[in-house]
Amino acid sequence: MKAAAFDYIKAQSVPEVLALMSEHGDDARLMAGGQTLLATLNMRLSEPQLLIDITELTELKGIEIIGEHLWVGALVTHTEIENAALVKKYAPILCAAAPHIAHRAIRNLGTWGGSLVYGDPAAEWPACSIAVNATMVVRGLQGERRILASDFFVDLYTTALAPDEILMGTEIPLANAKQVFSFQELARRHGDYAVAGLAAVAKKTGQVFSDCHFVFFSVATTPVAAVQAQSLVNDQAVNAELIAAAVAAARAEIETMEDITNSAAAKSHLVGVLLERALKKMLAE
Amino acid sequence: MELNGEQFIAASVPVVWRGLNDIAVLGKAIPGCESIERISPEEVHAKVMFKIGPVRARFAGKLLLSEVVEEKSCALAFEGSGGAAGFAKGRSRVELSNAEGGTLVSFTTEASIGGKLGQIGGRLISASAKKIADDFFQAFAKELNPLANEITDGGVA
Amino acid sequence: MNPKIPIEMIVNGNRVQAEIEPRRHLVDFLREDLGLKGPHLGCEQGACGACTVRVNGQIVRGCLYLAVQANGKVVDTVEGLTAQGALTELQDAFMRRNAMQCGFCSSGMLLAAAELIEQQPQATRAEVREWISGNYCRCTGYHSIVDAIMDILEAQREQTE
Repeated sequence: MKAAAFDYIKAQSVPEVLALMSEHGDDARLMAGGQTLLATLNMRLSEPQLLIDITELTELKGIEIIGEHLWVGALVTHTEIENAALVKKYAPILCAAAPHIAHRAIRNLGTWGGSLVYGDPAAEWPACSIAVNATMVVRGLQGERRILASDFFVDLYTTALAPDEILMGTEIPLANAKQVFSFQELARRHGDYAVAGLAAVAKKTGQVFSDCHFVFFSVATTPVAAVQAQSLVNDQAVNAELIAAAVAAARAEIETMEDITNSAAAKSHLVGVLLERALKKMLAE
Repeated sequence: MELNGEQFIAASVPVVWRGLNDIAVLGKAIPGCESIERISPEEVHAKVMFKIGPVRARFAGKLLLSEVVEEKSCALAFEGSGGAAGFAKGRSRVELSNAEGGTLVSFTTEASIGGKLGQIGGRLISASAKKIADDFFQAFAKELNPLANEITDGGVA
Repeated sequence: MNPKIPIEMIVNGNRVQAEIEPRRHLVDFLREDLGLKGPHLGCEQGACGACTVRVNGQIVRGCLYLAVQANGKVVDTVEGLTAQGALTELQDAFMRRNAMQCGFCSSGMLLAAAELIEQQPQATRAEVREWISGNYCRCTGYHSIVDAIMDILEAQREQTE
């Protein structure tokens, strides 16, 4: 199906974008990779008056070290993350997750920021951003502010981004040599929406894990961290018994949501399956 | 798609009942409601813009009340056309009961969503419907405050 | 509302100028305005891969890319890449392995395969299967397509040894 008619403007600066957003409100849509937006428009599930192409905004690009952080600009594509040496070194779970996103042709255009701002329950990046302790840098007419990833995903398709704000990018604390991680995703076919997924990151010294993040996606309306399971594992020597306890804790604490393919009970079961696989993998590293 | 739930509202049953039948209140409480019109005591027409994620679908909807038991329960039949986006149709039953400090609103809903929205959105229809219901009740409870004052002032039991 | 926007791009090595409605997809522009019927329209949702074309050296979904976005860019379709000889070995392998029946998916498959061979020359059979899961084929059952791609990868790896 073809999209309804709209006007198109290629913005040259962030102030220009903010002014356009203020002028047009919800009649305008920002376009970065456009991989979700254009599909939505093609099906006439949305008929905006104006598309604001933001792909020229240099401030939203780039992967670089700034001080103690890895900066990943909102316009960085999934493919760029997959291939970036800096990401492989300082936020390796992102490189592991990237190939799971849709398909290559979509990854070549789709963006880190676009995925974060939509906050689709089945998306990989929101859970990963929490697992790596990212901070979102957003800018609006009032100025710039920072929002922790763990505070960013508020409800179904709802983030802490205000309607007049744009995501500039994220600051990610540099992973140190002791970091271990495991990215797990179950899908019926490669590239499908996840049935259940887990972004797990921890610091490992010998058999002891600390600073654990076990962030699940596609089991609820937002990514959800298994806080009890994390506390159970933190600063303990990980063995089969602890893994079993963590699995039970995660299954008990996470209120799963059914979707078109799986019941809430099935999702709970899968939460445990993924956590067990992740812990075993991280232990073996 | 099924949506069943219970919502506590910190207002008396008469106030809640009146609110549910007041199109001025409904118009402000229904998320994305652009216009609402009472055609008859049983029929209400509304235009609602659904905003969930990337979707912006404007629905022209019709609500029909039946089996009305004053200040207790009613049945609702609804249907809406979203143009190219799809259509929705369903039935709902709403029951009010006294609860400590207010009213318990119990509802059961059965709906079918068809067209593009149903095909593509099917994955998250239940979660979306639940969010819309939650948002509705939050806004509805807020709107009830002036009504509550009016009723107690007027001395209606 | 929506005046047509003047754009200029290189398509299959030729400079093209046009005035286009913003909502026109790149794949519709290529097929209808330029007569390049190589890329096909399947789902218009980005799922089937039949519309896959190359923009600035990378594969994209032609149905999830506006023609106006291609302003100033280099676009290649299967016609242009064939004329350049960029796909010859892959196309020979497809023929040898019977990896094409109706041909509807083939343009997209070839372009996706070409990017894999270039970007992941060490790909295993499993990785090839994952990579082309973004291109649907209703005829072949996929094995012959994977075989053809593996032929090229293995030949390449043998050469560099």
